[in-house]
Amino acid sequence: METPLLRRSLLATATLAWMPQPVSRPRAATAAARSLTFSWPVNAGPLDPHGYSANQMYAQSMLYEPLVRYVEGGGIQPALATAWRQEGRDWVFTLRRGVRFSDGTPFDAAAVVANIRAVLGRRQNHAWLDLVAQIEDAEAVDAGTVRLRLAHAYYPALPELALIRPLRFASPAVLRPEGGVSAPVGTGPWVLAETVWGERDVFTRNTLYWGEAPALERVVVKVVADANTRALTLETGEIDLTYGTDQLDGDTFRRFATDPRFTTAVSPPLATRMLAVNSGRSPTAELAVRQAIQHGVDREALVRHVLLDAEPAAQTLFAPNFPYTDLGLPPFGFDRARAEALLEEAGWVRAAQRGGSRRKQGQELAFDLCFVGSDALQKALAEAIQGDLARIGMAVRLLGEDAATFYGRQRSGEFGMIFADTWGAPYDPHAFLGSMRQPAHADYQAQRGLPMKAEIDRRIGAVLVSTEEEHRAAEYRWLLTTLHEQAVYLPVSFLTNKLVYRKGFGTVPFGDTRYEIPFAQMRRG
Amino acid sequence: MLGFAVRRLLTLVPLLLIVSLVFFLMLRLGRGDPALDYLRLSQLPPTDDALALAREQLGLDQPLAAQYWSWLSGALRLDLGRSWSTGRPVLEEVLHFLPASLQLAGTALLLVVLVGLPLGLLAALYRDRWPDHLTRAIAFLGVSLPNFWLGFLLVLLFSVQLGWLPAMGRDGPASIIMPAVATATMSACVTLRLMRSAVLGVLGERHLVFARARGLPRRTILGRHVVLNAMIPPLTALGLHVGELLGGAMVVEMVFAWPGLGRYALLAITNRDFPVLQGFVLVMTLVFVLCNLLVDLAYAWVDPRIRFGARAA
Repeated sequence: METPLLRRSLLATATLAWMPQPVSRPRAATAAARSLTFSWPVNAGPLDPHGYSANQMYAQSMLYEPLVRYVEGGGIQPALATAWRQEGRDWVFTLRRGVRFSDGTPFDAAAVVANIRAVLGRRQNHAWLDLVAQIEDAEAVDAGTVRLRLAHAYYPALPELALIRPLRFASPAVLRPEGGVSAPVGTGPWVLAETVWGERDVFTRNTLYWGEAPALERVVVKVVADANTRALTLETGEIDLTYGTDQLDGDTFRRFATDPRFTTAVSPPLATRMLAVNSGRSPTAELAVRQAIQHGVDREALVRHVLLDAEPAAQTLFAPNFPYTDLGLPPFGFDRARAEALLEEAGWVRAAQRGGSRRKQGQELAFDLCFVGSDALQKALAEAIQGDLARIGMAVRLLGEDAATFYGRQRSGEFGMIFADTWGAPYDPHAFLGSMRQPAHADYQAQRGLPMKAEIDRRIGAVLVSTEEEHRAAEYRWLLTTLHEQAVYLPVSFLTNKLVYRKGFGTVPFGDTRYEIPFAQMRRG
Repeated sequence: MLGFAVRRLLTLVPLLLIVSLVFFLMLRLGRGDPALDYLRLSQLPPTDDALALAREQLGLDQPLAAQYWSWLSGALRLDLGRSWSTGRPVLEEVLHFLPASLQLAGTALLLVVLVGLPLGLLAALYRDRWPDHLTRAIAFLGVSLPNFWLGFLLVLLFSVQLGWLPAMGRDGPASIIMPAVATATMSACVTLRLMRSAVLGVLGERHLVFARARGLPRRTILGRHVVLNAMIPPLTALGLHVGELLGGAMVVEMVFAWPGLGRYALLAITNRDFPVLQGFVLVMTLVFVLCNLLVDLAYAWVDPRIRFGARAA
């Protein structure tokens, strides 16, 4: 009697626990010839071209287009405007003919004016962007020409018009008087066909698109918040592609790079991963200490062992592929002996016991290095930097805190060193430099102890409204050279976009900026 | 029994009020600044003006009492506010994600019952023989495995290696198998052990000797006199498992990209999306209390002494 019971129980358990289901092989599910499946941590959002969170920038850039487009290296190319000229403080744009929004509404000067006025009507929401503060109004000269009236001859107007938000264009038919859009309707190569909240967004070709139609017919973006899940679904074929700065961690990216089934690529530098060094607080207020930090940290080792070679090491605040930044500044270079000599000359001497930190007039050479506690990469970098600096006699206290406290420290200047990346293309260098004048930024706090801080701020203000190219280049040279020599930043590496896809998928190029994913240029086969 | 149920439901009102107030204070008095997080999510520089504007837009510039009253008066009208990160009504989002979570937790609960109880019975009937040793080893392993790790192991085997099951999403009946197994394993193993010890306790009772003496068939003895009597402790534990399953599902939902309330809440925690977290806690309290009420009613149904005891009282 016992044996049949045992058999029945085991059988029933196995049957119920592993109910046979009609399972389709996932690899076949995404094999649609002209479709691409991607993943993103959240849904695309309401897709308001003038809105911020919860609008996802990659999706905004699929639907909405700028007047001019930023290309790698800082060049500006035509987009919805075919020509432009500066007339005193004003910019005049000739609009592309024959463009229609995906709802059929013509794209003309009235549409541009309606969108720009919608942005100006909520100016306080866009106060972070100098261009919005500079624009006094937009006028339709005729149906195909628009004049932007600016308060000053603001030179970065073109790169800022190329930003993903807020100065792109939705159909006037969907602009709501209270702000936002009633439906996502733009001129871009894609339209949002479906949103299943928490599961996916589906984009299809815009049949009214003025340019070359995308090779893909459909882009399905599945909502996957976890990076490990994303890696596994890439392996199973449930998604075709990962693309971005941090879609996969370094270890996983390296695993895919050595897997012959996958193609991986790393983009040119898009921004800088760095730490701000506080010149307003002791002991980093001393130039010798800041310079010793530069010489004491082995960036190449950080990149090799912590970032797993997924990003190139950085020696300057901006990569040389940004406008006005290819200055050939001499790198500090990893030189522990030089770092120790600088500290000795400045009076920081080692304590008697071996391995102790340096002291000067009773003060220990010690400061806080702040990072987001939940950010494993920042923590690993911080620990490696702490180790490097300990070897030259600096006692670095690691402060890993929640993100809000961390950003609070950036604003208040309560740090010795703190992680603070640059904003990337197309914000670098002009918008990032512009923000250095704001006390709420880590950069301002890091620089506030410099004897030439007032001069730095004045020159930043001047360069942004400078109309002469030569003068502008000279001013940038002075600013970037001064910041480099004053060693208020410890650049670690240049942030890059990394992509992974299955071999034989087709062509996947990089976008020109950090947040644009060029789905329209991707093709299978 | 009806009176008991009504009384339990009435206690929900003060309970929800207390939970909402305590949780509101925990969120508001915690460290950090949600306005800063809001700007970070929007990838906006946190200037003083931008922070002031964000605080005004999110209602954070109001006194705490006014903020709570504003939220409570809205909640009484079934308006739980709008998510700070998506801008959509919280109740609408919660109701959108709740069915997927209930489906996952419900399937997991079914697995707990269908796997834990029979295996527990089996282990007890074959005490100290190989089926007992095997089920005890499984139980030991099952309670020791974190559910997210088990989830990844399942995906590696059944999706990456074998290609039998989808690794993520909620697309067809096959997609629930691995999330449900990952969610249920720990609770099923606890239930297994509880059932085993409860059955062993009952097997020593004298009334079973009498039943055998009466010549009752083994099946009847097992079903009516052993299993039914041994059900009380596992059934009580099931009420607790409901909360565990819903809570455990949070991480599992993240691993399997399951579009449920748990993943929604985890993202809200990351984004410090207070209205979502308040709405989530309120709804989960409601679900938790209702599930426990159902278990209590089932408890009374299984054990007549409880029914009669309640009546006598």
